[in-house]
Amino acid sequence: MKAQSAGSRRLSILLSIVIVFGLLMACSKEEKNSAGPSSPAASSANGESQPPVQPSGDPAGAYPVNTTETITSWEEVNDNLITFYSNLADTPFGKQLEQETGIKVKYTHPASGQRKEQFNLMIASNNLTDTIEIDWTVEYPGGPEKAINDKVIVPLNDLIDQHAPNLKKLLQDNPELDRMMKTDNGTYYVFPMIRPDNALVFRGPIIRKDWLDELNLEVPTTIDEWYAVLQAFKEHKGATAPFTAMYNNETNLQDAFIGAFRTANRHYIDDNGKVQYGPIDPQFKDALALLRKWYEEGLFDKDFALNTDTKALDAKMLSGQSGATVHLISGGLGRWMESGKKSDEKFHLVPAPYPTLNKGDTAFIGQRSFEFNPSASKGITTAAKNPELVAKWLDYAYSEPGARLFNFGVEGESYTMADGKPVFTDKVLKDPQYSVQQMISQYTKPNGPFLGDPRKSLNTYPEMDEAAVVWAKTDAAKHLLPGFLTPTVEESQEVAKILTAVTSYKEEMFMKFVMGKEPLDRFDSYVEQIRSMGIDRVTEIYQAALERYNNR
Amino acid sequence: MKAMGRVLFDVRKNKYLYVMLLPLFVYYVLFHYQPMYGAMIAFKDFSPRLGIIGSPWAGFGHFMDFFQGAYFWRTIRNTFMISFYDLIFGFPAPIVLALLLNEIRVQIFKRTVQTLTYLPHFISLVVICGMIKDFTSSNGIINDIIAFFGGERHSLLLEPGLFRTIYVSTDIWQHIGWGTIIYLAALTGIDPERYEAAKIDGAGRWKQMLHITIPGILPTITVLLILNLGRMMNLGFEKIILLYSPGVYETADVISSYVYRVGLQDFNYSFSSAVGLFNSAIGFILVISSNWLSRKLNDTSLW
Repeated sequence: MKAQSAGSRRLSILLSIVIVFGLLMACSKEEKNSAGPSSPAASSANGESQPPVQPSGDPAGAYPVNTTETITSWEEVNDNLITFYSNLADTPFGKQLEQETGIKVKYTHPASGQRKEQFNLMIASNNLTDTIEIDWTVEYPGGPEKAINDKVIVPLNDLIDQHAPNLKKLLQDNPELDRMMKTDNGTYYVFPMIRPDNALVFRGPIIRKDWLDELNLEVPTTIDEWYAVLQAFKEHKGATAPFTAMYNNETNLQDAFIGAFRTANRHYIDDNGKVQYGPIDPQFKDALALLRKWYEEGLFDKDFALNTDTKALDAKMLSGQSGATVHLISGGLGRWMESGKKSDEKFHLVPAPYPTLNKGDTAFIGQRSFEFNPSASKGITTAAKNPELVAKWLDYAYSEPGARLFNFGVEGESYTMADGKPVFTDKVLKDPQYSVQQMISQYTKPNGPFLGDPRKSLNTYPEMDEAAVVWAKTDAAKHLLPGFLTPTVEESQEVAKILTAVTSYKEEMFMKFVMGKEPLDRFDSYVEQIRSMGIDRVTEIYQAALERYNNR
Repeated sequence: MKAMGRVLFDVRKNKYLYVMLLPLFVYYVLFHYQPMYGAMIAFKDFSPRLGIIGSPWAGFGHFMDFFQGAYFWRTIRNTFMISFYDLIFGFPAPIVLALLLNEIRVQIFKRTVQTLTYLPHFISLVVICGMIKDFTSSNGIINDIIAFFGGERHSLLLEPGLFRTIYVSTDIWQHIGWGTIIYLAALTGIDPERYEAAKIDGAGRWKQMLHITIPGILPTITVLLILNLGRMMNLGFEKIILLYSPGVYETADVISSYVYRVGLQDFNYSFSSAVGLFNSAIGFILVISSNWLSRKLNDTSLW
């Protein structure tokens, strides 16, 4: 008995050693991966030995700049690019940018999907690059003002005024953009990514046109029409989940259907300019009742909360389980058309307008982003030895030739000029092996601080162009809360704390209401609960921030 | 002084064993003891910019927030319930399978069963969870069977009442084969003479199992049970977060998934460290007490 127990104990020790070694190896591998991309930054920051050059000798706005200095930049690299290059400097785009601006840049890229973690690490270790591309509006805890006070980034007012003539002109010509880009007390903090007008709306309802035609139905515009269409899909087309949607922390409807009841699944601005929290609106109950009815009747995907990745949605849309959803122009509509047509000639998707209650109404809300895209904007850090040079480098992206490079790539390689318009070459559009997105990622910068060109379009189907128009016909611009509100540091913390709890509770109840696990009579006590969690305080903070925003 | 000399003598005598121990020692220092310093942020208002030392102290504030929060009892209850079911059903499963396999004399059948039951262990958890989602979805195979017998289709994973059942039963499926290895190894250590003696005394298969096989592997069972008890509170969050959704939080949200949500999704590091630290404290108490209990009851213990 004793001898055996010792034997088995030895065995278990041996086994645990094996397990531990396995772990150790896995850990060290990860360690290497995460350390990899950050090491060049360290070496470049210390290896700076060239004599400082006075770039102020060059007039602002003249390129290439005559300098021998190297600047450092930390930015996320497009996932498509990783197939070809690991560093932006080696790409045709990076080389061309260096040639045109005359400025050498050392890039550091966070590992895919670890942008936020590696950004935090960089801040914590105080090992900053000259310029950092991240969402300075929300991703730095405490917001942009705090980042400036913490001496992480520098205010850009003087730099833009003196060294960035192209951006300065844009801001002068576009007061709305100017307002989005400033903090409440008028400080510029980033070089912005500016979206063109026609790229602001890219998500909305999509429906199977071939089914509609077969059933002699029109593209639905009202809730009642949608109801009839979904019923027909279920009965005549055998769709098991006629309407489905992505699920990321909430059902991603972009407030379609919910918006028909003049409310939203989040904070929004009502017709009187007051901030409201949609999920406690009385009319939100009607929206819930609608989804609940659809769920019960098998019109709304029974597994809706399990569609947490695009693959689940792909499968449903392409297999005929679903006939309608809310998704992206190219990532949804275009992609599905392409694969759908391969197996079924007739497979045809069209955009449907954001639905309303009464025919002819304009939808209350829908997806719409802003011209200023903070998530791909660059701030200049306090570590920059020559911030003027960095500003010059960044400003190039807002000049005419610079914007063309960022949008279309290298002339003669990725695009040619036809009738004064840049047109992508077949080299990027018709590569036998790689997709357009992959090809184009080598020559352009899909996201980043530059002036977006409305002529840039990779749409392969006319329905995709149509979608941007159809989905744009909403009052979203009036009702969406701008993403650039800047509550104070204390307020931000308060908001985060309350909102985390509220959102979690709201979503749990949302699902229960829709799935019929909780009677709708309980709506009032649910509202009461959310109130007691302090939602009114958040709304109040947002209201004040909105007023400050409007007064900028 | 004398003790010191004895240690040195031992090191010289068994130097290769000590060299082999070294990586393990380094591993524990680096990955288990050194990070404990970081647990300090549970008592601070951590901000990445200020660092661990520089962040202001918050005392027990984050702990109080958790204890008084709406989800305290729910996460504790769920953690306990899922672990408890896992222990009740999941722990004996590999023992039973090992005993059954032990009785099989046709080698090829035994090997086939072993290989097949090992397989799920080697499939990535993400894939496993994808399979579980497919099987339990309203168009999945389980619902096909239910519908065949005239039942109604439900999305099983969205049913709060079924989450724990799905979790525990798939856990058994995943780990049953792998779990048998250690018992099968222990079984080979039993002296065959005992079986011969029992046979001569007229014991059948059943009696042999009850009186020789099970007592033979009991020490192994005890050690693993203590280890499992200690891990009860450390219910992994990976499988939970791959399977759950807000609609089933009431039965599925455990401490570690809650920590993950608050800490890594909402970047509230200090709060989630406080919850994690509290969790570890309970786990610590569990190991100590189960070890003590086991020593009292049957003389086998980890230390």
